[in-house]
Amino acid sequence: MEDYKFLFKIVLVGNAGVGKTCLVRRFTQGLFPPGQGATIGVDFMIKTVEVDGDKIKLQIWDTAGQERFRSITQSYYRSAHALILVYDISCQPTFDCLPDWLREIQEYANCKVLKILVGNKTDRDDREIPTQIGEEFAKQHDMYFLETSAKEAENVERLFYEIAAELIDQARRKDGTSAVNKNSMDAIGLGSLGTKASQNSCCSGFNSNSNQCTS
Amino acid sequence: MATSPRSVDTISLCSTVSSCPDRNGFYGGFQRTDKPKEPLSKAQIIAREKKWLYMIDNWSLYMSKNYKKIRDRCRKGIPKSVRPRAWFYLSGAYLLKKKNPNIYKELLEKPGNAHIIEEIKKDKHRQFPFHEMFLDEDKVGQIELFNVLKAYSIYNPKVGFCQAQAPIAAFLLMHLPAEDAFWVFVSVCDVYLEDYFISGLEVLQNDAGILEGLLKKTCPPVYRHLQKHKVEPLLYMTDWFLCAMTRTLPWETLLRVWDCFLAEGIRVIFKVALVILGATLNRHKVRKQCNGLCETLEVLRNPPEHVLDEDFIINNMQRLNLRVEDFQIEHTRQKARRAKQKAQEATAAQNNSNTNTFSRSRGSSPTNGSTSGNITVVNVNVGDGADLDTIAPISIKNGSSNSGHRP
Repeated sequence: MEDYKFLFKIVLVGNAGVGKTCLVRRFTQGLFPPGQGATIGVDFMIKTVEVDGDKIKLQIWDTAGQERFRSITQSYYRSAHALILVYDISCQPTFDCLPDWLREIQEYANCKVLKILVGNKTDRDDREIPTQIGEEFAKQHDMYFLETSAKEAENVERLFYEIAAELIDQARRKDGTSAVNKNSMDAIGLGSLGTKASQNSCCSGFNSNSNQCTS
Repeated sequence: MATSPRSVDTISLCSTVSSCPDRNGFYGGFQRTDKPKEPLSKAQIIAREKKWLYMIDNWSLYMSKNYKKIRDRCRKGIPKSVRPRAWFYLSGAYLLKKKNPNIYKELLEKPGNAHIIEEIKKDKHRQFPFHEMFLDEDKVGQIELFNVLKAYSIYNPKVGFCQAQAPIAAFLLMHLPAEDAFWVFVSVCDVYLEDYFISGLEVLQNDAGILEGLLKKTCPPVYRHLQKHKVEPLLYMTDWFLCAMTRTLPWETLLRVWDCFLAEGIRVIFKVALVILGATLNRHKVRKQCNGLCETLEVLRNPPEHVLDEDFIINNMQRLNLRVEDFQIEHTRQKARRAKQKAQEATAAQNNSNTNTFSRSRGSSPTNGSTSGNITVVNVNVGDGADLDTIAPISIKNGSSNSGHRP
């Protein structure tokens, strides 16, 4: 049961109602629950995936989006290997808050954390943020970028698998033993993230592994 | 996995949705119950109803002279037919409404803060989506939920709107007409859960420490287990406390717990939490299986069914044998701990150590500033830890429930 090669901790942040919990549930349970209740505080889900034959355990932490919860959620950023910053492509204010979130991340997360910007709800036809705008923002701030729809299950698997692949890559580059082996899950030093975002389009910098889910 | 969009969710969720609601109005979700209610005899029900009606007719008298009777009857469970009225009285909402006629309607006319209104709008369809009242946007439930939350955000701008309040408001609307639900909601948010919802969540963090301290006393092995695996209380108790168990317990249990909560205050939520923790992780075998943070949180998120059974919870709350003093002692300790912690931070920041932050001013209470249902409450503007021995936290017994509505 504890048979995995790496354990990565992924934390989702972003305004209330952008679909963080739905992304997590879509990925971990294959569900899109209508009327998903707001996350109060922090929640987590576990999923083991297989990347290139290795079992990878993803510990996904979901946080409350409302500002007043930040005093509680902040403390969970620090040990994250990857931070997914989510906004809603049909809601401008959720995009406008991104700089605030980046300040949060800068202050509370490890400086080497892998950052991914996600524009969720591509299924909606009242889009307010063009893909390109999101992409540019990600580029400027040294983040990966992807647009998703938790409702239509679009790019959700890809998001998490590619994070896993990237983290494995970093861990190996750094030196397989130092980071994230299952016995040292707190070790973060995830190698150099020099390659970062952006030369590419939609999913900048991500590998495109085709992977298989194991649990 | 999950390669086919849309259909996947619909199917998997539909399997849990029934075509007719259960006796509490639920079509699905974990709070739906198909089990018939353990029937009391008709005679028993009628007898209880009569007692309650008599008590409500003579409410002030009971409240001032025989509060214990009220408390005990709440612990037995309030008859369903009387429950809405009983809650209206227990919470002191009837006095608030009397004191503030027309206010609710006036609040509805006001526009409210645009940002908050947006936040509420986003959340109104996210509460109890399987309940008949909240199934879709056109149903009265979502409209009233919006109204109550908006009205409150204007009534108490210091709190505005916290997402954790929405399930509480929705839960109350299932039992009371909107205006009455509003006043019970005001009382719950401003007295029972005072300062829980304001930014910083200082009170919740304080209570997290108190809960830990009480767990150490009531169930040391479980306490040690949580310590060992670094399971901080905020990870499991935030939802329990901020939503006053409305998203945690099966419905029948929740109703019984709220009967007690409205009579005795936040201590009830502490006790329920302690029962869940204790009963879920009590067995050595279970603790051994939960050999990590996530594994432990996982079982706490889904405690075994029998642990959440109404009689199990209610009976075991009494068996905890916690006295009011135990809460007070823990409160004092926690206050000292946090004061120390803050002082260290403050010293580091070349600031004055500021213990005032930890006392909770009662000034803004809409009912009566001097008492509260919250065990963590110290009296009005208690200066600092030194006063604690003389000014004990107000006990529920002679406090909270009586707060606004003692004659």
